[in-house]
Amino acid sequence: MTRQQPEPQAAVTLRGIVKRYPGVLANDHVDLTVADGEIHALMGENGAGKSTLMSILYGLSQPDDGEIELGGRPVTFSSAAQAIDAGIGMVQQGFALFDTLSVTDNVVFGAEPTRRGLLDRRAARAAVAELVERHGLRVRPTDRVGDLPVGVRQQVEILKLLYRRARVLILDEPTAVLTPAETERLFDVLRGLAADGHTILFVSHKLHEVLSLSDNVTVLRDGRVTMRSATADTDRAALAAAMTGRDVELDKIYPPGTPGEVVLAAHGLTIGGPGKPVLADVSLEVRAGEVVGIAGVAGNGQTELVAAIAGLRDLDAGTVTVGGVDLRGLSVRARRAAGLAHVPEDRAEVGSAPRARLADNLAVGFQRRLARRGFLAPKAIRAHSAAIVEQYDVRAAGPDAPMRTLSGGNQQKAILGREMAHDAPVLLVEQPTRGVDIGAVVNIHRRLVEYRDAGHAVLLVSAELSEIRALADRVLVMYEGRVVAELTKDEATYEALGLAMAGGAS
Amino acid sequence: MRTVGVTLLAALVLGAVLLAATGANPLDAYWAIVTGAFGPDGIQDTLAYAVPVVGMAVALAIPLRAGMVNLGGEGQLVLGAISAIAVGLHTSGVLGIVAALVAGTLAGALYAAVAAVCETRLGVPLLVTTLLLSYPAMSLAAYLVRFPMRDAGSSLPQSEQLPPDVRLPAMGTGVTVGLFLIVAAVAVYAVVDARTPAGFETRVTGWGPRFAQYAGIDRPALTVRLLACSGGLAGLVGAVVVLGFPYRFIDGALITPQYTWIGLLAALLAAANPLGTLVAAVFFAALTSGGFAMERATQVPRELTAVLQAVLIIFLAAATGLLRKRRSPA
Repeated sequence: MTRQQPEPQAAVTLRGIVKRYPGVLANDHVDLTVADGEIHALMGENGAGKSTLMSILYGLSQPDDGEIELGGRPVTFSSAAQAIDAGIGMVQQGFALFDTLSVTDNVVFGAEPTRRGLLDRRAARAAVAELVERHGLRVRPTDRVGDLPVGVRQQVEILKLLYRRARVLILDEPTAVLTPAETERLFDVLRGLAADGHTILFVSHKLHEVLSLSDNVTVLRDGRVTMRSATADTDRAALAAAMTGRDVELDKIYPPGTPGEVVLAAHGLTIGGPGKPVLADVSLEVRAGEVVGIAGVAGNGQTELVAAIAGLRDLDAGTVTVGGVDLRGLSVRARRAAGLAHVPEDRAEVGSAPRARLADNLAVGFQRRLARRGFLAPKAIRAHSAAIVEQYDVRAAGPDAPMRTLSGGNQQKAILGREMAHDAPVLLVEQPTRGVDIGAVVNIHRRLVEYRDAGHAVLLVSAELSEIRALADRVLVMYEGRVVAELTKDEATYEALGLAMAGGAS
Repeated sequence: MRTVGVTLLAALVLGAVLLAATGANPLDAYWAIVTGAFGPDGIQDTLAYAVPVVGMAVALAIPLRAGMVNLGGEGQLVLGAISAIAVGLHTSGVLGIVAALVAGTLAGALYAAVAAVCETRLGVPLLVTTLLLSYPAMSLAAYLVRFPMRDAGSSLPQSEQLPPDVRLPAMGTGVTVGLFLIVAAVAVYAVVDARTPAGFETRVTGWGPRFAQYAGIDRPALTVRLLACSGGLAGLVGAVVVLGFPYRFIDGALITPQYTWIGLLAALLAAANPLGTLVAAVFFAALTSGGFAMERATQVPRELTAVLQAVLIIFLAAATGLLRKRRSPA
């Protein structure tokens, strides 16, 4: 793009922002001030109002009250397009890229340079190359986006914003999909952009990332600002307390369990794929009273591994036994009967029915056992639900509340409670605390350890290193469908895990 | 529930505007529909029409509860009817009635199960198999009543009349004790849906196919079972209709009144909820028979009730669709 505009000012001021949704005050007079060239972290648990605030700044929704200033001038946006024109850009959690197109094509899409009404590809290439050079990004403009790793795709998203002359960059939980190394690279890029005068709004709930990256931090809880500080003047405990409203025990590492007999054994599990295999010769054993952690960046075969064990996906080769029973050819129901329970990664699609009542969600899998003389009495469903709600401290409006009205943490506690109620010898758990508040994380971790100590075998898949470190008695690291490292609890340091997750096998 | 009320009102207002535009008095016309549908003269017609519509609505609601659509209701209905006639013509007495009803039910159930197996074994989508299998069934019946089963004393494509002792006892013009069979079917559906593990598993599958699979519900087996129940009830409806006046199979007589499609609409609008399906089906049946009455009582053409029906359906679909959308907040 060659048209010259005055550089937009990047300082952002939000004053007294109020946003009401039916029954919820999502933002309650929120003030947020970010200076030119500042990296500002916006923290808070799910439902604290971070996303609402950012969608107001980005023009996706309109505040009920309050004002927005950009570079000292009041502005109002009724659409994202207007926010983009004013120099605000946002990288959402899910990327919006065309896999089959090149980096350049993706970056200029929607704002293509033209010459006499035709696409000017040469100008596009030059503009993108210039941006890549200036900001020191590690992106080749000619690469096909579909071939790029996630970390690089994210840089393409950032390039799109820079190409549209965004001066204020909003990044919503950008590190959720990145390896530790990719996260570091992203942070380098963001620091460079800030030094160049860009303003960065970094939305996150990860304490150590906020502490290592940001200049200032604002914490929201229940729609209100509970903390505003220079990052240098705060620490993990203070941030966690501001997010949750109470003191939280962070980074607890649970003592190891006392493993018994092998309950779950998998040998040579393989699922082919186009090009690289999805799962390549994976073998593992989990003993009673043991938590085995599967670490790795999302998309390296963990999901498929669990799906294959649970019977949701076919294997090309390999055997799985549970308590000595060969699961080959068994249906999901038969596998569950053989001793499997499963807390899946995707709570909304797989693990629950968001539209259905909590009580019905908790009865799934128990419908035959709860029936008397062939009839399933509402009373039995309620009693079953009440027991799990009580035991697992599930907070909901009642047994008839639709599942989707529960917070992420309570949904997860409900699913965990339902699966643990099977008292199956083997529990498969995927990303048990994704999108779950800090307070609930502690609760869920404690439950898992108690379940292990009661003599169950737990296979835990998590992309959160802190979670793996806290819970796992043994850690297998997966990379591109293979187990590339096996570490004991003591060996599983952040450094060792990070190295193995990036494919640097030990 | 309030949304439905508001929607109904909005549709009625729009309908009133349409009626006024044709020069009729909307209130008179609406009154004619109500009295025509539920008045002493109309209630018989409404019931006679409602029995097959409710039956088909429930038949199609059964798989719909699990998110599966049976588009082959017409074929199953016709096959049930012709099978009931074929058996009824060669039997006698109460046993003959029972045999005819059972034959109709079995024919519909087996035929729908074939469509289900085509999906579960061969991977052809249920929508396609049910709909396409419907045509040969209708054609077969059309052939049978033109040639091997044709009433020799008539030039019309129709079967012979059932013997007098193989007829469902009438309870008025056009209404037989078949009414109780259909009411019983609705009741059984409601109880199974709400109070049994099978009904629970069906609902779980409707909430989310991946959730159901994860929970260990055997979808292929469920598909075959639900389609068999669906087709069986459709076949029973066919049998009930032909065991009533005029006690014979007339080609097209089960298709022209649109029992299947009005039933499917009712089931879709009610999201296959048993009570909702019943209410919606009776409502549409009343609207249709009321429409005939309106045409007789006023100068308003019956086609306007079809228009009114369409307006109502679109409004209701929009209202329920909007509700569904709001369930996925950003």
